[in-house]
Amino acid sequence: MAQTTLPASQVKRPVFSGLGKWVGVLPFFLFAILFLILPSMRLFVGSFTDDHGQFTLNNVIQIFTQSSILRAYVLSIEISAVTALGGGIIGFLLAYSVTVGGLPKPLRSILVTFSGVASNFAGVPLAFAFIATLGRTGFISVLFKNLFHWNIYDHGFNLYGFVGLSLTYMYFQFPLMVLIMAPALDGLKREWREAAENLGANNMQYWLRVAMPILLPSLLGSIILLFGNAFGAYATAYALTGGALPIITIQIGAQIRGDVLHNPGLGYAMAMGMVFIMTISLAGYSWLQGRTERWLR
Amino acid sequence: MHTKKLIFNLVTLLVIATFVLSACGPKKGAAPSSNDPLVKAAQAEGTLTTIALPHDWCNYGEAIDTFKTKYGLEVNELNPDGGSGDEVEAIKANKDNKGPQAPDVIDVGFAFGPSSKAENLLMPYKVSTWDTIPATVKDADGYWYGDYYGVMAFLVNTDVQSKVPQDWNDLLDPAYKGQVALSGDPRVSNQAIQAVFASGLANGGTLDNSQPGLDFFAKVQQAGNLIPLIANNGLVAKGETPVRITWDYNGLAAIDSFAGNPAATVVIPKTGRFAGVYVQAISAYAPHPNAAKLWMEFLYSDEGQIIWMKGYCHPIRESDLRARNVVPADVAAKIPDVSGAVFPTLDQLNTAKSLITGSWDSVVGADIKKAP
Amino acid sequence: MSEELPYGWLQFARNRFKRQQKPRGEKRKTPVWSWVWYILGVLYFVLPLLATFEFSLRMKRGVYSLAAYKAAFADPAFLQAFGYSLTLAAITIIVSIILVVPTAYWIRLKLPQARRPVELITLLPFVIPAIILVFGLIRIYSSPIRLPFSSVVLIDALTTSRYGTIILIVAGYMVLGLPYMYRSVDTGMRTVDVRTLTEAAQSLGANWFNIMVRVILPNIRTALLSGALLTFAIVVGEVVLASYLGVPAFGPYLFLLGQHRAFEPAALTFITFLLTWAAMGIIQLVSGGQGQVSGAH
Repeated sequence: MAQTTLPASQVKRPVFSGLGKWVGVLPFFLFAILFLILPSMRLFVGSFTDDHGQFTLNNVIQIFTQSSILRAYVLSIEISAVTALGGGIIGFLLAYSVTVGGLPKPLRSILVTFSGVASNFAGVPLAFAFIATLGRTGFISVLFKNLFHWNIYDHGFNLYGFVGLSLTYMYFQFPLMVLIMAPALDGLKREWREAAENLGANNMQYWLRVAMPILLPSLLGSIILLFGNAFGAYATAYALTGGALPIITIQIGAQIRGDVLHNPGLGYAMAMGMVFIMTISLAGYSWLQGRTERWLR
Repeated sequence: MHTKKLIFNLVTLLVIATFVLSACGPKKGAAPSSNDPLVKAAQAEGTLTTIALPHDWCNYGEAIDTFKTKYGLEVNELNPDGGSGDEVEAIKANKDNKGPQAPDVIDVGFAFGPSSKAENLLMPYKVSTWDTIPATVKDADGYWYGDYYGVMAFLVNTDVQSKVPQDWNDLLDPAYKGQVALSGDPRVSNQAIQAVFASGLANGGTLDNSQPGLDFFAKVQQAGNLIPLIANNGLVAKGETPVRITWDYNGLAAIDSFAGNPAATVVIPKTGRFAGVYVQAISAYAPHPNAAKLWMEFLYSDEGQIIWMKGYCHPIRESDLRARNVVPADVAAKIPDVSGAVFPTLDQLNTAKSLITGSWDSVVGADIKKAP
Repeated sequence: MSEELPYGWLQFARNRFKRQQKPRGEKRKTPVWSWVWYILGVLYFVLPLLATFEFSLRMKRGVYSLAAYKAAFADPAFLQAFGYSLTLAAITIIVSIILVVPTAYWIRLKLPQARRPVELITLLPFVIPAIILVFGLIRIYSSPIRLPFSSVVLIDALTTSRYGTIILIVAGYMVLGLPYMYRSVDTGMRTVDVRTLTEAAQSLGANWFNIMVRVILPNIRTALLSGALLTFAIVVGEVVLASYLGVPAFGPYLFLLGQHRAFEPAALTFITFLLTWAAMGIIQLVSGGQGQVSGAH
């Protein structure tokens, strides 16, 4: 029989095979390790060390017991929850209006572009924009004063408080919701609606029994994402309130500058607490996204 | 499809062009050469790192620009809105760091000089004009030295608030609800601490007892008049903090920068002129000690002192400058009259500082934070 | 009889309404609510921008003028800071492309097993907000990194020198932009089917370098532009990394300006918005897609 294959010793192995294949992604992993994983590890390990480098659980315990830190977490969670829900609802309604709601096509692309812009517009510029809108001499404040003779500041409104910050956060929250929900709403097939109607369902029943259950994972997932988004925001809050609202990100910022706590381990623990909450929120979003795909592929 | 490609190419071109143009910044002129060994040593270091020097504070903007052009050095400005406490913290936090985050020089309230010296944070240096600095405002060993002073005043945005307070107790008026702000956090900022101290004088306090000042601000806070924000000129202009308690020079500089929009005025409280002195010092851990020394020489030269005068501050060598008739007439005319001002001594300041920073939280309870 | 009348009337009304519910033909009812939500949403978007613009025109007392814009651009510090940020953005984009494109390509072609870990890594920046990232970076890189149990220095302390700080901040920016860059490039490669392209190029005798530069890159141009524009938007607006690392970028400059001036920051804020809108608009135009999703900072 003629030899139709080369003997094993002469087979040219591809240069990158087996374990060698991972060489190609080495730079990426190296980058990730150096600038993403190592810093996180440092913070993680640091949260369990005290001033002298000894292992301690005190820092972790302290973040659960020290009232100022607990208050910071609670405040952050409150603002994030409020803006996630508010932004979620408004965003959903907007996404609905341009998809299932039947508005003309060009309006949709305008909305999507603006949503892309607004969700990127966070930070210092957003804070300034809202001061120009709702500040003491802002557009709306002056409008209300002139038109309705109603000074909103006299009635307890404060841009630099919870309400003001929430309104500001919503500016990038609901566009994010729009960007996520518009494709999801697209996935609601017309056939389902027609089938439901043929079976005698009215509008309300269709939404309650057919559309909502399908959309629910996507909705919930997006709201959780919005939560995480608001929770991690720092620049907007700092630029607006300067720390008047002691949310957890601002406390951590103060800790980096060293003018609040003289216990670095505590700062690390605070940061790790944040990462933990963000991880849960992102994991929740991922899981729910996976469930969404079932119906809206 | 063709339009898409065209747009794409145009945009890419535009993007690249923008980046290329941005990279070619304004060309820095060649560093002026000099035979002075200090200047040479400073130029070898190349940079000076300052901290907490707003450009409109005593005309620091002009001082920094003049320094840069005169000696060809770069100036790395940290945390322009920090308080004296922040400056000291920055030295402490960067003891081992010779990078751009460590300040070379600090400009802090009078009481912060000796306290920083006690913590071994300072490096002694006596400028060439040392002898013309009054002895009461400098450290005998040269660790810190007074630089300028002004008196406490109110800056009022009269477009937003037409009723101008004339004295400390006017600030309790309901008309100022949510309108009064300090210029710093009284736990860290010298300016805010002195404001509290000064207010005490109008309420039964003395230079030895600053408790009435704390009590007064507790009342302002309870009346709902105190805003928990650090006021700055931007906020006053926007109308967010229509009544800012600050040094007279800051207020006067603000009015200049507003250029009429908004209209504003500076009022010195009727109770009296309360003077506050600031001191300069070089960090013991300065990454650029020679640049720091050159900066001090510049600030204490006639030129530097007059630049401060243009910012409405009274420079520490003022009597010497006036005696030698080197103050330009227009500058001398604009600087506010602060005759008869009370100058707390170092001991009185120290007592007040510890009382106010320690008791602010418990007595007043307002958390003053930075603002946009 | 009279008591039944209201009920009867209700039945009658409901029947008529029901008839309109099922559009047999093309009769579409005006989606009133959709319009309401849309208009409300657009108002929320537009008002702050309008307010900022109006405020920025008020620099000269009593008259609308562009004085604030002139003053803002006349400030040499503005050009310096903006130019600095642009340069940093350029470096970040170039290095990101160099890192991400080969990695995504390699994964697609040779190493699908790496997809999961890599995607996980690209999700990490969502979990680690900028404030924590900068915290970790500063803590790790403010002292030299040595080989464990030896005095061999692997990496010098980066925060202590100007160039080291620049490396740190570019790395930080890359981390912030990684999710978008990677996702963009990956989607682009999926769309153009790099496997076939590679095989075709190889059969024509191209070497790896040529394949990458002359075949792959041009075909994912759109994706690269999307990623680049998003990175640009992120870098220019970024405040947290820049201020804590002491870098004279545009973000801290704008923040500082707001401390001292009222009208110029409003002018610059409006310009920032226009820039962001231009970037997003270009992405929309060129990719004809959904618009990229970005989070808050």
